[in-house]
Amino acid sequence: MTAIAPPVAGAHRIRARSDERRRGWVRRAPLLPALVFTIIITQLPFLVTLYYSLESWSLVRPGSQHFVGFANYAQVFEDSQFRTTALNTVIMTVGTVLIAMVLGVLLALLLDRKFLGRGVVRTLLITPFLIMPVGAALLWKTTMFDPTFGIVNYIFRPFGIGKFDWVGSFPLGSVMIEMIWQWTPFMMLLVLAGLQSQPKDILEAASCDGARPFAIFRELTLPHLRRYIELGVVLGAIYVVNDFDAVYMMTQGGPGISSANLPFYIYQRAFLGFQVGQAAAMGVVVVVATIIVATFALRLIFTSFSGTEQAA
Amino acid sequence: MAEVTYDGATCIYPGAERPAVNALNLPIEDGEFVVMVGPSGCGKTTALRMLAGLEEIDDGSIRIDGKDMVGVPSRDRDIAMVFQNYALYPSKTVGENMGFALKMQGIDKDERARRVREAAKLLDLEEFLDRKPRNLSGGQRQRVAMGRAIVREPKVFCMDEPLSNLDAQLRVSTRTQIAELQRRLHVTTVYVTHDQVEAMTMGDRVAVMRLGQLQQFASPTDLYDRPANVFVASFIGSPAMNRFDGTLTEDGIRLGQALIRPSSKQLQEARGHDQLVVGIRPEHVAVSVSGDLTVKVALVEDLGSDSYIYGSLADEPDSNIIVRSGRDHPRPGEVIKVSVDTSHLHLFDAGTGERVGD
Repeated sequence: MTAIAPPVAGAHRIRARSDERRRGWVRRAPLLPALVFTIIITQLPFLVTLYYSLESWSLVRPGSQHFVGFANYAQVFEDSQFRTTALNTVIMTVGTVLIAMVLGVLLALLLDRKFLGRGVVRTLLITPFLIMPVGAALLWKTTMFDPTFGIVNYIFRPFGIGKFDWVGSFPLGSVMIEMIWQWTPFMMLLVLAGLQSQPKDILEAASCDGARPFAIFRELTLPHLRRYIELGVVLGAIYVVNDFDAVYMMTQGGPGISSANLPFYIYQRAFLGFQVGQAAAMGVVVVVATIIVATFALRLIFTSFSGTEQAA
Repeated sequence: MAEVTYDGATCIYPGAERPAVNALNLPIEDGEFVVMVGPSGCGKTTALRMLAGLEEIDDGSIRIDGKDMVGVPSRDRDIAMVFQNYALYPSKTVGENMGFALKMQGIDKDERARRVREAAKLLDLEEFLDRKPRNLSGGQRQRVAMGRAIVREPKVFCMDEPLSNLDAQLRVSTRTQIAELQRRLHVTTVYVTHDQVEAMTMGDRVAVMRLGQLQQFASPTDLYDRPANVFVASFIGSPAMNRFDGTLTEDGIRLGQALIRPSSKQLQEARGHDQLVVGIRPEHVAVSVSGDLTVKVALVEDLGSDSYIYGSLADEPDSNIIVRSGRDHPRPGEVIKVSVDTSHLHLFDAGTGERVGD
C-alpha cells in the first residue's frame, strides 16, 4: 500500500467515505418502515387536526366545510363548558393520582412486611390494574354503585343508607373512586420496588440511633421513595388525564357536564355535536397545554433519577 | 460507659442446624475494648448484632450495666453501631448523619450543631459537614460512620468490621486512630473482625470464636503465648504456628524419626496424653547444623528484614513447617537441619485439641 501515489490515495479516501455512507444507510434502512409508519399514524393525524381546527365544518350539513381562521380557537376560550371540563380534568387527575399514591404507599408498606399469605394478598391487590378499564367501569357502575342491588348500598344499609344513587349524586367522585381503585396497584408496585431497594442496614442504623418506626419512615424511607413517587405521579397523570372509558361507561359525562373531562367533551363535540372544527381546535389546545405540563413533569423526574445516585 | 455481660447468650436462625451463637459467656468490663475474631460463619457478627438488638436472643441473656436486654429494642439500648459498609443515610448531609441520633433524642438544634462540630473536629471532618455521603471517599465515609457513633456518647460502641472496605494502607492508620479514640473516650467497645492482626493490635482482650462457640477469651499476648486449643493456636499468629502429630515416649516426643525433648515439667504434664499435637511458632525454630529436625525447603519468602522458609519434614513429605530465618537463607530444594526451642513448645491433646499443661 505504501506505493500508492497521493492523488490516488485521495480518490481512495473519497470512495471510502461514500462507502461508509452507503453502509450507514444499509444499517438504518430496516428502521425506515417503522419510522414512516410512526410518522403516518402519529404526526399526520395531528397535522390534519391542525387543518380541521381552522375550518368550520358540521357533519350534519354537507358542504358546510369552509376556512374560518382562528375563529374556532376564539370560541374555545369563550366556551364556559370547556373551562368546566378542563377544571374537571384537573380535579380528576390530581385527585386520582394523589389519593392512589397515598393508598399505594400504605399498601406497599404493608406488603413490605412478612406475613402469612403475603403472596395471595399481593396478587389480590394487583388485580384491579389487570382488569380492562371498560370492565372496571361497568363493575363499579353496576355491581358496586347500583342503587338497588349495588354492594356499596348493601354494606351501608345497616347505617341507614337506603337506595342511594351514588353515581347520580356524586358523578365526579364516583368516576374518581373507580379510577383510584384501578391506579392504586400501579402506585403500590412502584413504591414497593422502591421500598425493596432500600438497604436494610440503613434501617438498622436508624433504629440503633434511637429512631422509632414513624421517624424512620419520615426521615429516611420517604426521601428514598421520592423518585419512585415522582415517577408514579407523572406516569399515572399521563394516563389518567387521557381517561375516557370510565367517564363514558359510568356517567356519559353527566348529569350535564358535571363529570365530563376533556377527552370526553371533545368526543362529544365531534361525534355527538358534529362540530369537527371546534373539536379539533379543542384538541390542539389540550395537546399544547399537555406538552407544557409534561415538559416540566418529565424534567422533574429526569433530574431526580440522574442527579441522586445512591451512596454505597 | 458500661459493663456488658453475655450470659449463655444463644441465637438460632430459623431452619439452621446449629445455633449461630451457642451459649456465649463473655464478661466485658467498663471501658474495655473487646475484639471478637474468627473465620467467616463463626458467629462473631451475630453475637455483636445480638448486643445491638438486631438479632433475637433466643436463650440466655445479654446485660448492659446489669440490665437485661432481652426484648429491649435497639433504640432503647443506648448503643451505637458502626456498620461494615457504614450504612450512612444517603439523603442526609454528613452533619445531619452525625446529628441524627441527637435529633431523635429531641436535643435542640444549637446543641446538636455544637456536638456535631466537636466530633467533626476530632475526626477531621469539619469541611465535609454539608456534603452528601455519595460525594465522600471510602475513608471519609468510614470517619462519618465513626462520627455518627461518637456524637451520641453511648454506653457501648458496636463495630462490625469497620475497616474491611478500606485499602491496606488506610486500614493500618485508621486502626490506630480507632484504638486511640476509644482509649480517649473510654467507652466500652465490642469490635468484630476476621483479621487477626486487627484483633491483636486493637483489643484489650480478644474473644476467638468458631462455629458459634467461644474458643478463648484472653489478652492478645495470652492468646499468642498460651492458646487454649489447636484452633486458637493456628488462627492467631502470622504465619501460623507449626503443628506436628507426635507420640509421647519415655524420654520425649517422637515426631516421625526425630525425637524432641521438652522440659521435664512439660513432659510430666503430658503424661496420659499419648497422641499429641505439638505446636511451635516459626520464630522458635532456627536453622542450625546441629538441629533435631531435617527439613526439605520448598519456598522462601524474603520480607527484607527477615525471611520465612516453607518446607516439609524430610521423612514426612505431607507435613508443613515454617521457619523464621535471617536474610541469609537456604535456597528452595535444599535440605537443612533446624533446631527447636523446647522452652516454647505448645502441646495439645490430639483427640480433644485442648491444651495440655500450662
